[in-house]
Amino acid sequence: MIAGLGLLVGIIVGLMLQPEVPLWLEPYLPIAVVAALDAVFGALRAFLDGIFDDKVFVVSFISNVLIAALIVYLGDKLGVGGQLSTGVIVVLGIRIFSNVAAIRRHIFHA
Amino acid sequence: MSAETRPETTQEELPPQVHMPLLDYVIANSLDGDYAQAAERAEAADGGEAPKIKPGIAALVVMGLFGVLVTTAAIQTARNAGDESAGKESLVNQIQARSAQVEARRERAANLREENESLQSLFLETTSQGRALSARLDRLGAVTGALPVTGPGVKVVVDDAPDGTSEKQRVFDKDLQKLVNALWASGAEAISINEQRLSNLSAIRLAGSAITVNYVSLSGPYTVLAVGDPDTMPARFVETKHGRDWLDLQAFYGLQFEMTAEDSMTLPAAPSRRLNLIHATQGDTQ
Repeated sequence: MIAGLGLLVGIIVGLMLQPEVPLWLEPYLPIAVVAALDAVFGALRAFLDGIFDDKVFVVSFISNVLIAALIVYLGDKLGVGGQLSTGVIVVLGIRIFSNVAAIRRHIFHA
Repeated sequence: MSAETRPETTQEELPPQVHMPLLDYVIANSLDGDYAQAAERAEAADGGEAPKIKPGIAALVVMGLFGVLVTTAAIQTARNAGDESAGKESLVNQIQARSAQVEARRERAANLREENESLQSLFLETTSQGRALSARLDRLGAVTGALPVTGPGVKVVVDDAPDGTSEKQRVFDKDLQKLVNALWASGAEAISINEQRLSNLSAIRLAGSAITVNYVSLSGPYTVLAVGDPDTMPARFVETKHGRDWLDLQAFYGLQFEMTAEDSMTLPAAPSRRLNLIHATQGDTQ
């Protein structure tokens, strides 16, 4: 309940402020969003599993976002930014899918 | 331990990412192990009580952060898409405008090329006409005395008798006229007397006691240059009546007369005031 409230507040704040993203940060924003999405679905599954922990969620969220951005940054510097982004998105996408599958099992017991 | 069981134990001790395929490992570990570990720790610390699973303020803040992140990314993507389509549209417009420009330029280039060709042919025509005209002008200028001429010819030097006492022993205007006439008759093409070129308006006459040519007073000795064939002119000169008159003048009155052939001589142009026609205009050439 409190997490949904936070999400709602964040979306409203984002819509109201419409922060201007600096140009150098722009390529890392989508990958950061995917990494954050992975952390959020992981947290939701942990919550449904009954093992949710605030600290773990915060740490996993921040480290996910930072590491994803760092990998893409490194790839950009090495000239393989596009390929590394694809790799990161594939791995995160698989994790998101399997977490969502687990969440679905919890909710629908199927 | 037997040799068959040893590898199994080793495999069990190895971390799962060593022996599991990558994709299987990723799927199996899709939930961070930290949650399970934290739960175990909490259980151990609380002495068997159920762990606290209520999300707290930290979760609220992070979820808010997540919301801002998602919204920002979405807005940014939409904005970029707008920019991109606007950029594409302006590019298309630019391409169309430029290609129209190129078309116009190409047309203009074709027109200019055509014009160039016609101008070139006109130029060729004009230059050939002009060349013919200037050649004709040069010819006419040489004939009328408007232009200096150069060429072989004869040089005649005449003067009064050295110790002349009577009037008849002086060179008069009519003597020079006779000399000039005889030279014309013997094939001269251009004549000058003391650097005064004879044009078709020149007169040789006496003014006071001096002979004037082109209204310029001359004094002896008179050097008459005549451009023509230096081989035949002396012979033809003596065949003319005036030529013989001059030989008589030399013989009877002692006037000085000396004719020499020259390989090359240059005659100046006649003064321009002697070339202006005021009343005469060109008549019809039939």
